[in-house]
Amino acid sequence: MLTNEEILRAKDRALAHLRSIYGDDAETIIADRRYGFISGVLKDVVKKPAIERLAWSDKIDRVIVNRWLGIPIFLAVMYGMFQFTFTLSAPLMDWISAGFDFIAVRAVGISPEWLGSLIGNGIIGGVGTVLTFIPPIFLLFIAIAVLEDSGYMARAAFVMDRLMHKVGLHGRSFIPMILGFGCNIPAIMATRTIENPRDRLITILINPLMSCGARLPIYILLAGAFFPAYRGLVVFSMYLIGIILAILMALIFRKWLLPGPIGHFVMELPPYRLPTITGVLVHMWERGKHFLIKAGTIIAGVVVLVWLLSSMPWGVQYAGPDSWIGHLGRFIAPIFAPCGFGQWQAAVSLFFGFLAKETVVGTMGAIFAVKEGSLGTAIASQLSWTPLVAFAFMVFSLLYVPCVATIATIKAETNSWKWPAFTIGYELALAWIMAALIYQIGSLLGLG
Amino acid sequence: MTKKLNIALVGNPNSGKTTVFNNLTGTHQYVGNWPGVTVEKKEGTCRYQDYQITVADLPGVYSLTAYSLDEIIARDFIVEEKPDVVVDIVDAGNLERNLYLTVQLLEMGARLIVALNMMDEAGGRGYRIDLEHLSYHLGTPVVPMVASRNRGTQELLGQIARIAESRVPPSGLRIDYGREVEEEIEKLEDLISQSALSRLYPARWLAVKLLEEDEEVTKKFKEGNVD
Amino acid sequence: MATKSLAQMRPKERGKITKVGGSGHTHRRILDMGVVPSTEVTVERVAPLGDPIEIKIKGYHLSLRKEEAVQIYVEMIER
Repeated sequence: MLTNEEILRAKDRALAHLRSIYGDDAETIIADRRYGFISGVLKDVVKKPAIERLAWSDKIDRVIVNRWLGIPIFLAVMYGMFQFTFTLSAPLMDWISAGFDFIAVRAVGISPEWLGSLIGNGIIGGVGTVLTFIPPIFLLFIAIAVLEDSGYMARAAFVMDRLMHKVGLHGRSFIPMILGFGCNIPAIMATRTIENPRDRLITILINPLMSCGARLPIYILLAGAFFPAYRGLVVFSMYLIGIILAILMALIFRKWLLPGPIGHFVMELPPYRLPTITGVLVHMWERGKHFLIKAGTIIAGVVVLVWLLSSMPWGVQYAGPDSWIGHLGRFIAPIFAPCGFGQWQAAVSLFFGFLAKETVVGTMGAIFAVKEGSLGTAIASQLSWTPLVAFAFMVFSLLYVPCVATIATIKAETNSWKWPAFTIGYELALAWIMAALIYQIGSLLGLG
Repeated sequence: MTKKLNIALVGNPNSGKTTVFNNLTGTHQYVGNWPGVTVEKKEGTCRYQDYQITVADLPGVYSLTAYSLDEIIARDFIVEEKPDVVVDIVDAGNLERNLYLTVQLLEMGARLIVALNMMDEAGGRGYRIDLEHLSYHLGTPVVPMVASRNRGTQELLGQIARIAESRVPPSGLRIDYGREVEEEIEKLEDLISQSALSRLYPARWLAVKLLEEDEEVTKKFKEGNVD
Repeated sequence: MATKSLAQMRPKERGKITKVGGSGHTHRRILDMGVVPSTEVTVERVAPLGDPIEIKIKGYHLSLRKEEAVQIYVEMIER
């Protein structure tokens, strides 16, 4: 009876024999012969013009990845992408939030009183806040789809690879990191284009440090209330802190967690193509859908849960210190005392931010029973936060645990619970250390 | 009576495969998972005459090695699920490199249709492609397409139906790897055809994969010893 | 005729591949992408930060890092 072992032995003999003849491995000879066959076919099949015209794609590349212009153009494209996303979405966001305010006012009047409160305070307050972030997220996905379908994304990786390589990442890690500014879920899904498993895993693990769109409401709220003169700068600093820590963690993970060489950069630079509207919309929809589903299910559920915990036991002051949520918050709060925000309201908001980061603002809105417009003042007066505390809280919100949907995505993409658990652990530690450092050092310097 | 057909779309990245998939299935798309792995699997359905066609959109790949998960998914699907027809989307402006995948698909014994996409771009660059000769050399039907303008979709569906109906076994392209390599392939093929694995995969394909030192195929032979 | 590695070639230089060294995944990918012996190759440009490089091969554009290009030997073609 012939065994597979004999076949494998025969294979080894064959390989040794071929190497002795060709001085090359069989793999090279086989690839060479396949391409040889194709060349033969094409000689008969394709007639190319005697002098091949320089394709317009080549002409574009002379400028786009030019030695001197390559990086300025890359920076301009990134800037343009964010301008497109946030400038266009601003009026849309205003309309949506105005629309929800209009409905909320009418909903609170519904009887019985508890139902009016649930709909007005809970559902519309929370879901409305979330839905206002659909315009920027969908616009960002449009921008990214245009860059991908046009062929620019490959050039971005080409331009950035050297730099990414220096920080222990692959040129292709850059795209998921940019996507992370929109939403970490499609960003983590986009790491599939990274072939090397280590490169891919590191890119996944640091991705939640890229400040996604869902964290923006926290920054906008707190920066607006505590840093009115420098709000743009403060929001920008959050993105910067995220990027710097992502690079730092990438270096640490490459050195100690997943040591090994970075994957190759043998990559096609496809010709530039005009993106089709359908193609762009399909891409946008496939990615945006995840956010919508998340907003529609998890977040609405969380908001109702918060409302319930805030109203129980029956008859208690809504979200008062004696409500269930108050007890829960008081239990967690002392952990955050070294960070400056050891109040139960902050703890409760963060606790629910586990489920989705945008609910941090939604929860606060529900606790203080105010709309977003006056929430900042409510936080400043009722929690007596200083700008330093607000800043530490923002940094904590940026860094602590990915949202539940991101955790689920990491689980799906790495096919194990080990990596989402690891991400939660390292991010919690990082967030607590950073927030405590900021508050303690700031207080020592008299900034508090 | 409706007849059911399973087809798979395969092709290089940037060959317009997703556009062809969208043209074929429109809004009838859903997401599942590939067997054994958690990578997303895009599928869709479409109707053509009295056919109910299920279309699997395989990951975009350049080759069929065992080095990347996408390539393993693509080739396992074709070898193990045995779709009725495999449609290989080929960029007409980049034939040489795109056909490298086509050749490997033919070697696997897939029932193949070559969808020659982006014919407009190739024409714009002054390329003239003799479709009949290409079809003759590869032993497969060749359908010219401009997927971005939804041209050629009906012709492709017509070919799919024709090929599925014909029931002719795929010709299975044989590349001549040169005398010395062919001798080794032949020896291995003889041995392999006596093993259980040859009932699942074409013996010549396994022999070539062994010579390419393909990890997955080598593993299959090693595991075969256990039972 | 002069033989050098692809990494040593300057933009606009042309050559014919003589040997593709290396092993493993990167080696195989290089072969799969059409970088096989006796194929003509032109260096198109170097990325703004000095690495990777872009080459034209088999009618399309491919990028690879210099550390990957050193394994590829090329016989120069005079213009």
